Amino acid sequence: MTSIKIDNLSKHYGKIIALDKLNLEVPDNIVFGFLGPNGAGKTTTVKLLTGFSRPTSGDAWVADEKVGDGNYLLNAKTGLLPDVPAFYNWMTGREFLYFVGELYDIPSGELKSRVGELLEMVELIEAGRRRIGGYSRGMRQRLGIAQALINRPRVLFMDEPTSALDPIGRREVLELILRLRESATIFMSTHILSDVERVCDMVGIINQGKLLTVSSVEALRHKYTHSAFEMEFIEDARPFAESLNQIPWLTEPKIVIEGGTPILRVSAVDIDYARRELPRLISESGLTLTRYELSQPSLEEIFINIMESENNR
Amino acid sequence: MKGLAPLLKKELKEQFKTYRWLIVGGIFLLFGITTPLMFKYLPEILEFAGEQLTIIEIPPPTAVQSLSEYASTIGQIGILVAVLVAMGSIANELRHGTAIMTMSKPVSRLAFVSAKFIAMSLTFLGSMVLASIFCFAYTVWLIESADIQAFIGLNLLLGLFLVFCLAITLLFSSFFKSSLAAGGLALAVIVAQAGLAVLPRFGDYMPGKLLGWGNNLLTGNGESYWWALAITIGVICFCIYFAQRTLKHKDL
Repeated sequence: MTSIKIDNLSKHYGKIIALDKLNLEVPDNIVFGFLGPNGAGKTTTVKLLTGFSRPTSGDAWVADEKVGDGNYLLNAKTGLLPDVPAFYNWMTGREFLYFVGELYDIPSGELKSRVGELLEMVELIEAGRRRIGGYSRGMRQRLGIAQALINRPRVLFMDEPTSALDPIGRREVLELILRLRESATIFMSTHILSDVERVCDMVGIINQGKLLTVSSVEALRHKYTHSAFEMEFIEDARPFAESLNQIPWLTEPKIVIEGGTPILRVSAVDIDYARRELPRLISESGLTLTRYELSQPSLEEIFINIMESENNR
Repeated sequence: MKGLAPLLKKELKEQFKTYRWLIVGGIFLLFGITTPLMFKYLPEILEFAGEQLTIIEIPPPTAVQSLSEYASTIGQIGILVAVLVAMGSIANELRHGTAIMTMSKPVSRLAFVSAKFIAMSLTFLGSMVLASIFCFAYTVWLIESADIQAFIGLNLLLGLFLVFCLAITLLFSSFFKSSLAAGGLALAVIVAQAGLAVLPRFGDYMPGKLLGWGNNLLTGNGESYWWALAITIGVICFCIYFAQRTLKHKDL
């Protein structure tokens, strides 16, 4: 099942193309990370998908509802945490959740228990009695998450949910997102790569309004990995490195010195094949292996790689 | 109008919690009480101030003078208060982002605008009722008896005019994220229509004419301006409709 379907969605502001023919499908119950540098078109996409901005062309469906003017069913099935959640500061946190619940027509008995449940989940039980005006940034973010979940949304949009939080606040929000995956699809726009690595099942990378790639984090690593194996031996590994030159599924074997230690580094054309066969070659060489590692690039390296190749086009 | 009831409840609560009821009510009440007092005690006040009244003979005040002066003051001060109260009502929510938080829920833009309009109108009309009761009571008590029906008619027309000012300001508030821009433009439109209201014939269709009609009720002059009344109601509906339409078509 698909929670979000985007078909050729574009948004132009005069001559500026904020989003250029975006096509995307997000399956149910996953955390989808929408990754891109500042100004890439992430917030524009979230605004288009939540109906707060009108597309120049194209269509989108969220939770089986067409995105457009006055589709209350869409709002009833979704939740939104904007990049900077804003509240009525004269209200208490509890009062705000009651107000939001009433907007969703949640019956009063059910609303009371739901508000209590959410305040407990975001750890604002005590603070819920105080005015929002006195809340810290982290508390506001947590209240923002609670209000976005009050209707048990099928799709939850989170725009930069951790960007303004301290490390502890970030960890809490990310843990919350992981728990939410069981009941909702989460569309999370962010530029924090470590967050994506930690919680996202799928990732879409966008730059200058164009979607560059969509994939699972693992598949991305697999696709963009340099497949570099690193090995250290007690003996001199130069003859072994030279012999690897003859192996068709390996490339660029070389000895590099790092911290005074010689390291044999070799890249693989076919990573899976190399994983299986390289240990056999090492064994046959008769050398004494002290370290063997497949170095995988971080998402940050992949992201920079993709951005650079896009800029070089 | 999906979501009107909870939105209206929130708006009314906001009027109390942000002391708008108190401020608007206080200002109106101040003029409601002081106008008849001023008329009654003006000679004494001048005497205390050391003015010689031998040159100017001040005629004894009349109820019509007192009530008409009250209407005139509320008409002028009320415009300013209406613009000040309504200019940020939508603009501030757009600027701070609370509009997005609220409208991401299943509520219509019409309910969002209407709730604000109704709550502000109730604040103003409630304050006017309070002020007019005190003004009438003090006038009758201190000066002389007055025609209550005419005074009620005057207040209804005055109230409608202030609601018109609120609606105009609310419309401009939906255009901008700056409340000052909204207030400035609303004030310009209200002043412009007041200028047009003094023109012969054409002026009879202007909302500002309602104030003149109210005064006519007090003085017993039978001239009435039904077209101005109809146009005012029409403009109010137009403003609410276009404010919600603006929000619907705006990139928030």
